[in-house]
Amino acid sequence: MTSIRKNSWFMAGLYILVFLLLAEWLTPVMTLTATAYKPLFLIFIAMALGMSLLRVSWWISGPLKLLYVLWFIVYVYTGEVFFTGEAIAFVWQDLKINLAALFSQNWANTTDVFRTLLFFTLLWMAVYLIHYWVSFRLSIFLFYLLTVVFIAVLDTFSPYTGNTAIIRIMVIGLLLAGLLHLARWTERHRIELSSEKIAAAIIPLFIMIAGSTAVALYLPKSGPVWPDPVPYITSFSSGAGSGPGGTVGRIGYGVNDSQLGGSFIGDSSPVFKAEVASGQYWKVESKDIYTTKGWELTENIGDSFLYENGDFIATDFTPGDPEMQETALLSMDQDFPFVLYPYGTESVVMDENLDYEYNTADQRIETYQQGDVFEPEVYEITFSEPTFSLTALRETSAEDLAELPAEFDRYRQLPAELPQRVRDLAEEITASSTTIYDKARDIERYFSNAGFEYSQQDIPVPAEDQDYVDQFLFDTKKGYCDNFSTSMVVLLRSLDIPARWVKGFNEGEIVETKDDTDIYQITNNNAHSWVEAYMPGVGWMLFEPTIGFTGSSAVEFDVEVDAAEEDEAAMPDRPEPPLPEELEDEAAADQNAGPSIWSRFQSFLDENSSKIGWGAIALGVLAAIFYKFRHKWLPRVLIPYYRLRSGDTATFEKAYLRLLKQLELYGIKRSEGQTLRAYASYIDTFFGTKDMTRLTNAYEQSIYGGRKDSIEWRELQESWENLIKQTTG
Amino acid sequence: MNAKDRLNAVIDNIEKVIIGKRHIAELSIVAMLSQGHVLLEDVPGVGKTMLVRALAKSIGADFKRIQFTPDLLPSDVIGVSIYNPKDMEFHFRPGPIMGNIVLADEINRTSPKTQSSLLEAMEEASVTIDGVTQHIPKPFFVMATQNPIEYEGTYPLPEAQLDRFLLKIKIGYPSSREEMEVLNRSQVSAPIDELQPVMTLEELLKLQEEVKRINVDETIRSYIVDLARQTRIDPYVYLGVSPRGSIALMKASQAYAMLKGRDFVTPDDVQHLAKFVFGHRIMLRSEARYDGVTAEEITDRILAKTRVPVQRLVGQ
Repeated sequence: MTSIRKNSWFMAGLYILVFLLLAEWLTPVMTLTATAYKPLFLIFIAMALGMSLLRVSWWISGPLKLLYVLWFIVYVYTGEVFFTGEAIAFVWQDLKINLAALFSQNWANTTDVFRTLLFFTLLWMAVYLIHYWVSFRLSIFLFYLLTVVFIAVLDTFSPYTGNTAIIRIMVIGLLLAGLLHLARWTERHRIELSSEKIAAAIIPLFIMIAGSTAVALYLPKSGPVWPDPVPYITSFSSGAGSGPGGTVGRIGYGVNDSQLGGSFIGDSSPVFKAEVASGQYWKVESKDIYTTKGWELTENIGDSFLYENGDFIATDFTPGDPEMQETALLSMDQDFPFVLYPYGTESVVMDENLDYEYNTADQRIETYQQGDVFEPEVYEITFSEPTFSLTALRETSAEDLAELPAEFDRYRQLPAELPQRVRDLAEEITASSTTIYDKARDIERYFSNAGFEYSQQDIPVPAEDQDYVDQFLFDTKKGYCDNFSTSMVVLLRSLDIPARWVKGFNEGEIVETKDDTDIYQITNNNAHSWVEAYMPGVGWMLFEPTIGFTGSSAVEFDVEVDAAEEDEAAMPDRPEPPLPEELEDEAAADQNAGPSIWSRFQSFLDENSSKIGWGAIALGVLAAIFYKFRHKWLPRVLIPYYRLRSGDTATFEKAYLRLLKQLELYGIKRSEGQTLRAYASYIDTFFGTKDMTRLTNAYEQSIYGGRKDSIEWRELQESWENLIKQTTG
Repeated sequence: MNAKDRLNAVIDNIEKVIIGKRHIAELSIVAMLSQGHVLLEDVPGVGKTMLVRALAKSIGADFKRIQFTPDLLPSDVIGVSIYNPKDMEFHFRPGPIMGNIVLADEINRTSPKTQSSLLEAMEEASVTIDGVTQHIPKPFFVMATQNPIEYEGTYPLPEAQLDRFLLKIKIGYPSSREEMEVLNRSQVSAPIDELQPVMTLEELLKLQEEVKRINVDETIRSYIVDLARQTRIDPYVYLGVSPRGSIALMKASQAYAMLKGRDFVTPDDVQHLAKFVFGHRIMLRSEARYDGVTAEEITDRILAKTRVPVQRLVGQ
């Protein structure tokens, strides 16, 4: 019988595919190591594979390959095409240098020639291994898998791009796997196939692979489910930022906000620690120009003020009651050239002698040391949370807006392309309110009342002709802080209320409590954006439209309600302060300040209950299937296990009883009244062996004969293994 | 020559005479080795006598035969003391029981009085006449035959006496091919006359001692007890197997193990012998007879449902 291995066309096809696969290995290696002469290496691989295919005996192929390698060295390093005396002298000289380097363990002194030689050896070995797999094992899966992993890893972590390579590899790999499967199949069933028959079997394979590849190439492909892991790894060292609008960004503070949207994934890289009595919103800066896609800052506007350590810094927020003055100690994990400051900041102090430059354009406090940008490590901020009088807020009216000076115009800017329905929505939401403050509160509350959803996943980037806010308000109704805050600013502005978009970090998580101060850990996950709106006659105020974030507004309302109560005593005709809401907010604030691990765990359970449930069911089903078919895989565990065990009678008895169980699982059950001998003879008849009787005789001796130490397990092991293998069938 | 070969030589010898009944010969040897006696229940002419004679001849034993008739007296079995006027003393004249191998033919045809004299002698291996105890020479092996109980004019053996037989065996008719072979061999001369002894009585006595040392593991003992207990709770059974029956099964199993060349008993030995040991020890209720269930069938059923021990007992 001629095996399919003897069919030279078939084998040649296999080897050509293997050659292509190896070439795919070579390409990235050569690209990355900046190695030239790729064709010459390919020729070497082709030569080695060709000689393997033609079964050239080793004493011819070995020297031939060696000669080629030498020629390569001569050609590449001396430029000679043939072996001249000079070239041979060069090779000899080089060899001596390398040997000396090797013996003195001075690895760095080895020359390129030597490394080339090593590389050739590696190729040689690879070719031999693949030849072995293909010719003898008729299996290529391991190598194929390694190739895919190799290309994927290189594509991810190195400059090499395997976009088309991976497609080529898939096609080559599928072809190889299909052909080898055919080969194994014909061998197992001892089928003899003529070349025509083989072709008939192969053609459908080709058509199938070609068809599926074509379809795969034609079909639209969704973006990657996982983001590129490399930025994730580097974010630990260089800090993260929201991406410039890719499909998936990384959460964290970033400079560029001109393209908002897209999903986010969490990143718990630490940013800083804050030692403070209560959780604060840490402001970095604000932006004023809404572009329909994101935020930008008006250039060359505003004034800069320089301050020194301990100077009172005049921000847009007047500090509150001096008796409520607090300090916050910040220690940075990631370095920024500015100060992260809470609302009501009065002054900043740090060990270094610095200049603080406060810019009214974006309210950023930048740090300079003798004119150079400086990234502070530790600093202390004195602040007092601002308070607002409800009385004053209730007196804000739309007429006041008209009288605002021109410097507020940039906070009322809106792009001309903003869809009318956004403006209409703003009117609609605020129709029932008369004061500016109430209108702002209406908009702030709108999102939680109108069925919006907080999510960082599946958030689209607005298309070319789409407005970011419009998309969120009317299409998706799902998003994270950027969506909510931007939308609120735009809605406010469409009512002519000055508003700006603020970036910074929220409170973070309490990691330690010291006396009456807590230590908060702020991570990239706490990067946040919110809203500041200008209340005529009162000043700038902080609003928090994002669902689930209530901390900062609670701080303000806390004080504000106190003021309202005072007012109420004097003016009983005032409307009732929003008392129940306040309680709610306070409760939410507590939760927000530091949700316990347990509550977060519970909310995780709640959110993912269906996933967890299905996961558990799937696991259970999987376990049940595993258990049900244990006779299929158990022997593979048992055989090595009993090989390792000692060779005494106790082991044998255990092994024998295990075999009985295994046979029962296989479906040949011993009835209650059946003796072992009768059962053994049945088993032997069934499998056509004598092993069971042999084992049973020994077992009877041990159990009924009372000879506990007479059995040599090792002698019986073969019979036992033979039978237990039968049961896997 | 080990025990197995010697015993098989005896069986081969018997097989020369009794065609195709090797398992019967084996069972006879088993009973003889464990110093028990055999009850053959069969119709006349199937070779009962021939079996016993062949066995006796093979071991060079003294063979006696007692034909039981309704008028047979105990003294006709065990012997009688006769006064000799010459020396004015009583002289004991031994009866046919005083032999190595005794064939008690048609034991259920004689009166209970005579039956019990035989059975007493079997149990005690001695006879007492006029206050003098006479020991029966060893080995002593009785094969009693009885006609199937339904025959006219029989005195069925009482339960207590049946218990004294180790095994009850049915020979049964030979197959047609075997019967032709029987005819063939009997044409010229009776094959029995040509048999030569293959074992001495001393050897047999030694083997009888050796059998007692065949290992019966605790698992096997518990198996035998389980089987016996099952017979006692079976709804068809009026009287189950007594502890004497359990002992009988154990002893027979030991002998069978020796015959098979083993020095330990396996559950297979017990299963093989259970039918022959329990068959005459299980007294059935009348319902069983109505339903056509025999003691052998009940034994088979018990064997099928009683768990065979395949592991060491816990704590062993």
